[in-house]
Amino acid sequence: MIGETREKEIYEVLQEARRSLDEDGKLLAKVYNEPSIFDLEVKRIFSKTWVFLAHESEIPWSGDYVLRRIIDDSFIVTRDEDGEIHVLFNMCRHRGMQLCRSDAGNSSHFRCPYHGYTYQNTGKLNGVPFQKEAYGPEGLDKDEWAMTPAPRMSIYEGMIFASLNPDVPPLEEYIGDMGWYLDFYLKKSPAGLEVVGAPQRWIMPADWKLASENFIGDGYHTQSTHMSTIKAGIMRVKSPAYLKEGVQITAGKHGCLFMGFKPGSYFNYPQGIVDSMLENLNEDQVELLKEESIMPLNATVFPNLSFLHSAMAIEAEGELATSVPYLTIRVWQPMGPGKMEVWSWCLVEKDASEEFKRNSNRAYLSTFGASGTLEQDDAENWSGQTRVAGGEMSGQHYLNYSAGTKHVEPIPDGEWPGPGTAYPKNYVDFAQRHFWQTYFDHLLNGQNGS
Amino acid sequence: MMLETSVETYWEVYSFLMHEAELLDERRERDWLDLFTDDAEYLMPVRVNRERGEGDGFSEEAFYFEETRGSLELRVRRLETEYAWAEDPPSRTRHFVTNVRVAESEEEDEVAVRTNLLLYRSRGSDPKHDLISAERKDTLRKEDGQWKLRKRVILLDHSVLTTHNLSVFL
Repeated sequence: MIGETREKEIYEVLQEARRSLDEDGKLLAKVYNEPSIFDLEVKRIFSKTWVFLAHESEIPWSGDYVLRRIIDDSFIVTRDEDGEIHVLFNMCRHRGMQLCRSDAGNSSHFRCPYHGYTYQNTGKLNGVPFQKEAYGPEGLDKDEWAMTPAPRMSIYEGMIFASLNPDVPPLEEYIGDMGWYLDFYLKKSPAGLEVVGAPQRWIMPADWKLASENFIGDGYHTQSTHMSTIKAGIMRVKSPAYLKEGVQITAGKHGCLFMGFKPGSYFNYPQGIVDSMLENLNEDQVELLKEESIMPLNATVFPNLSFLHSAMAIEAEGELATSVPYLTIRVWQPMGPGKMEVWSWCLVEKDASEEFKRNSNRAYLSTFGASGTLEQDDAENWSGQTRVAGGEMSGQHYLNYSAGTKHVEPIPDGEWPGPGTAYPKNYVDFAQRHFWQTYFDHLLNGQNGS
Repeated sequence: MMLETSVETYWEVYSFLMHEAELLDERRERDWLDLFTDDAEYLMPVRVNRERGEGDGFSEEAFYFEETRGSLELRVRRLETEYAWAEDPPSRTRHFVTNVRVAESEEEDEVAVRTNLLLYRSRGSDPKHDLISAERKDTLRKEDGQWKLRKRVILLDHSVLTTHNLSVFL
């Protein structure tokens, strides 16, 4: 009974939070960090939607595997002897021991330490010790006792996703209109992308939603949070005033922020990548690059996958004191209310020069990732927001999410070449509100990930 | 490991390392930077949890730090602005440097140094603290009679970092 009462209370709080966001542009601070809401997030978001696990280039060869999680569920992402990719629940079918305990490697088989059940990297059960003695002369039905695959698995432009929800709509449909925007990150070269080594991983006492929300469209924080990097000559802009123009996008459950670059500079990507980008992207996308000189900077694919294109100086002097471009993606993996593990990768075009790959990775890790001069300060903010939201006052403390509502209208149909809704400003809250509305839809309606 | 250098050199290196740790704990990053040679490298590779037979798991491509003197300069310059929120108020750190092993190098004027590092980090009024444990492999070079840090490789004992950011040096 106590549980039911509590659940009813949570729904009432969430309903009121949703109403105040929709009608007044105010968000109840409590939703940043509340244990009982976290339980709902696990059941109604992370168990329902698609979740990004790995990039194909992390397991390029047959037998390669990496270990990944959806909340507390461990999966082995394997490439079998035929090159096919599998996402297998990392739990032996016999007594439920964790089969694979290494985070990456190459193996054709996984052998359970407990009683020795052995599976192929396709998931097929291959060997059972003393099978006849244990299960009789017929042995076990090996098809029945294969490893359990993730209920759904799908690959989008080299990005491997899985879902715990067998009824989740197809990944293509889930990404939907956002695909048009992800092209700028993923299709700059027909050769595709590759990761630069293993992901950075670190624990942050911050709620995953704060990072997802920041990456979906928060261009406003840069002039304050990241001022140190402007002053130090890392972010190569003369003043923060330069940052105020942009275009915010909402598309499906997702969103992004376009930012400008000096006409013809294309974020300082090397000529080879600029050429292939202009060739590989469609006419409308190229028009934005050529005529408007804008490109998506940051993006979030709901719930917890984010992208960032940027260009920053690596060195204080010399050739690398100019902006060097990079692409990073990250997963904000919840570990409980107000706590996450961050997974951060740098990706580069496969056909880029080795020199560019190295410089691009250095520009990334100088500025983003655990040691990044920009992300250090993001971590400080997200941790601080989470800390103060953990008390009781946050249950009656409302936050301002109204930027743009009084004076900014969407760009009219026909004037913006991409799908979704585009807002012609940077310092607005449309994408962030969209993130929270999507979030409330899941929690309140138990949406089926559609 | 046996002492593979003279007592005098060992003592100089040891003093250098203690001085260096003191500069970091006193947040004198600019003075710390002066300990590096112009061609310095400062590396901290990502470490992956691998099977015993697969080596120690250090990535050859992915790093938390892949720095030169010029990029460390930018990091220090940032800390010197009024806007480096991650370190203002600053972390309270203590660099515990132990197990100092010094060996002669093939290069004249250089020594190879291995140390164990335990970094204690406390922030705000949080009763919890962060600990980072690592081995450091340094190359020290004597320039104009002074030891300088030519190269440092920080080999973490973590596959997942248990601190919210790396706004401090190791």
